[in-house]
Amino acid sequence: MVESKRERALVTGVTIFLILFSIAAIIPLISVISTSFSSKSVVDMNLVTLWPKEFTLDSWKYIIDRPDLWRSFFLTVGTTVIGTILALLMTALFAYPLSKSEFRWGSVIMVCVVIAMIFKAPIVPYFLTVRSIGLYDNPLVLILPHILNPFNLIIMRTFFKQFPKELEEAAFLEGCGYFRMLFHFVLPLSKAVMATLALFYGVVLWNQFQHPLFFLQDTNWFPLQIKIRQFITDDSVMMAGTASTVNLNYNERTLRAATVIFAIIPIIIVYPFLQKYFVKGAMLGSVKG
Amino acid sequence: MKVFAFHRLKVYWPLYVMAIPGIVFLIVFKFIPLGGAVIAFKDYSVFQGFDDSPWVGLKHFKTLFDHPDFARVFGNTLMLGFLKLVLVFPFPVLLALMINEIRKSALKKGIQTALYIPHFLSWVIVGGILFDFFSLSGLFNIVIGWFGLEPVLAMQESDYFRPIYAISSIWRDAGWGTVVYMAAISAIDPQLYESAMIDGASKLRQVRHITFPLLLPTVLVLFLLEIGNFLDLGFDQVFNLLTPMTYSVGDILDTYVFRTGIQQAQYSFATAVGLFQSVIGFILVFVFNKLSKKVSDGGLW
Repeated sequence: MVESKRERALVTGVTIFLILFSIAAIIPLISVISTSFSSKSVVDMNLVTLWPKEFTLDSWKYIIDRPDLWRSFFLTVGTTVIGTILALLMTALFAYPLSKSEFRWGSVIMVCVVIAMIFKAPIVPYFLTVRSIGLYDNPLVLILPHILNPFNLIIMRTFFKQFPKELEEAAFLEGCGYFRMLFHFVLPLSKAVMATLALFYGVVLWNQFQHPLFFLQDTNWFPLQIKIRQFITDDSVMMAGTASTVNLNYNERTLRAATVIFAIIPIIIVYPFLQKYFVKGAMLGSVKG
Repeated sequence: MKVFAFHRLKVYWPLYVMAIPGIVFLIVFKFIPLGGAVIAFKDYSVFQGFDDSPWVGLKHFKTLFDHPDFARVFGNTLMLGFLKLVLVFPFPVLLALMINEIRKSALKKGIQTALYIPHFLSWVIVGGILFDFFSLSGLFNIVIGWFGLEPVLAMQESDYFRPIYAISSIWRDAGWGTVVYMAAISAIDPQLYESAMIDGASKLRQVRHITFPLLLPTVLVLFLLEIGNFLDLGFDQVFNLLTPMTYSVGDILDTYVFRTGIQQAQYSFATAVGLFQSVIGFILVFVFNKLSKKVSDGGLW
C-alpha cells in the first residue's frame, strides 16, 4: 500500500507539531534549570534563556547548606517510603478477601467502596473527623489518610480475581491457609501490579500538599512541598541566613529556581525506570472505567 | 445449619480478619466525614460533635446565597470549570489521535516521555516554575521583549489568570490524559483499517470513520466524569497559582472553603458551601448521563 503524497505531508506535519509540543512541555523546565546555574547579575540583565550564563554553583551551594530543607526532604522520603509500604500491605490485605466469592461481606463492601469513590465528603467534616482522631499537628497525617485508595483497591482486586483457581485449590489441599496463600503465592506473583500501585501511592505521598497545609502547624513537620512553597512565596524564609545580598552571586530568583529543581530531581531520576509501570497502571484503571 | 456456620468461620476467618483494617479505614476516612456533612444543616460546635449539635435548617445556605462573596466565587468557579471542559478536555483526544499516526517507535516513545513528565510534578513545583517563567527577568518577558512588547507580570495580573489556569492544566495533564485514549485506540481491530485501505480510504478518512467513532465511547465516559468534577477544580492548582492580585478572578469554591472553614473555623457554613458543590456536581452527572444515553448507548450507568 503506497501512501499518497498528501498523506505523507500530513503525517510529517503532525510529527513536527508533536515534536514542537513536547519541546514546549520541556522548555519551562530547562529555563528554570539554567536560571539555577547562572549568576545573579546575568539573570537580572534578562540574559538567561535556555542555557546557563556565567555558570555558578552558588545558588545550589546555598540550597544544599540549608538544614531545614534537608529535614523536609528526608521527612518526605521517609513518609513516602513507609506510606507506600503500608499502603501496599493495606490494599493487598483488603483486596484479597474482596476477590474471593466465599467472603460473604464482599459485595456489600464493594458497593461501599464505589460510594466512597463517587461521593466525596465535603472537606470541612473530613477535616474535623481527622482532627478528632488526633492527627492534627501530628506527622502521621502525612501517612495514614493515604494508605488506602478505593481506585487502587479496585485495580488490585481485579488483578487478584484473574488468578487461576487451580493453583489455590492445590495449595489449600496441602493445608495452606489464606494468610500464607496471600503472602507466599499471590503477592510474589503480583509484582507488576504491586509496582504500578507503589508508584501511584508514592507519587501522591511525595507530592501531597493539601493535608500538610490543613493539618500541620509545627514547622518541624513541614514536608518538602510545603517547604518549597515557603521558599517560593516568602523571600524572608528563603534568604534566612544571608546577611546582605550585595556581594552574593545569587538572588531570590536563582535560589527559587534551584529549590524547584531540587524537589524535581528525585522524580527525574526514578521516572525513566518506572514509566512503563505508570502507563500500565493507567491502562488497568481505564479498563475498569 | 449451625454446624455449617461454624465450619465457615473455622475455614474462612482469615478473610474477615484481613478485611478489618480496610473497613476501619473506609469508616473513619470516608463514611464518618460523609455523614458529617449534616453539619451544613446544624450549628456545629466542637464540644457537641456531628450528632449533638443543634439543627438550624437551611440557615447556612441562606447566609451563603445572600453573601456578596458567593456570586463572585461561584462565578469564578463556573468560568474556570467551563474553560477546563471546553479548552482543556479535548486536548488529550487530539494528541492521542496525532501520536497514533507516528510510525517511528523511538520518536513516539520520546514524545510520550516528554509529554508525561509534567504530570508527576506537584502543583507547588508547577507554580514555582510558572512564577519563574513569568517573572520580570523570566523567559516569557525576555521573548516578548524581542518583539518590542512591554514586560508584564502575568502571574500578578488578573487578566492573565484564566489563560494561565487553562495553559497550566494542559501543560501538566494533557500528555498524561492521552494514556487512556491510546489504550482505547490500540484495542481497535486492525482488520478494520486493512479493509478500509483495500477500499481506498485515505488516512484522514480512516481517522474520521474508524478511529474517532470507536474512541467516542471512551471520550464520553471521561467527559461525564469530568462534568461530575465541574466545580471541583483542584485546590492545589488554584491555590498555588493564586496571588493577592488575582483574587478577584481566581478565588473559587475550594479556596473559599479553605479560608472560611479551615482558617476562620466557620465549620457549618463552609460545609454548606462544600455540600452545595457536591450536589451540583451530582446533578450535572445525572443530567448529562441521561442525555448521553439518549444520544448514544454510552453512559456511566
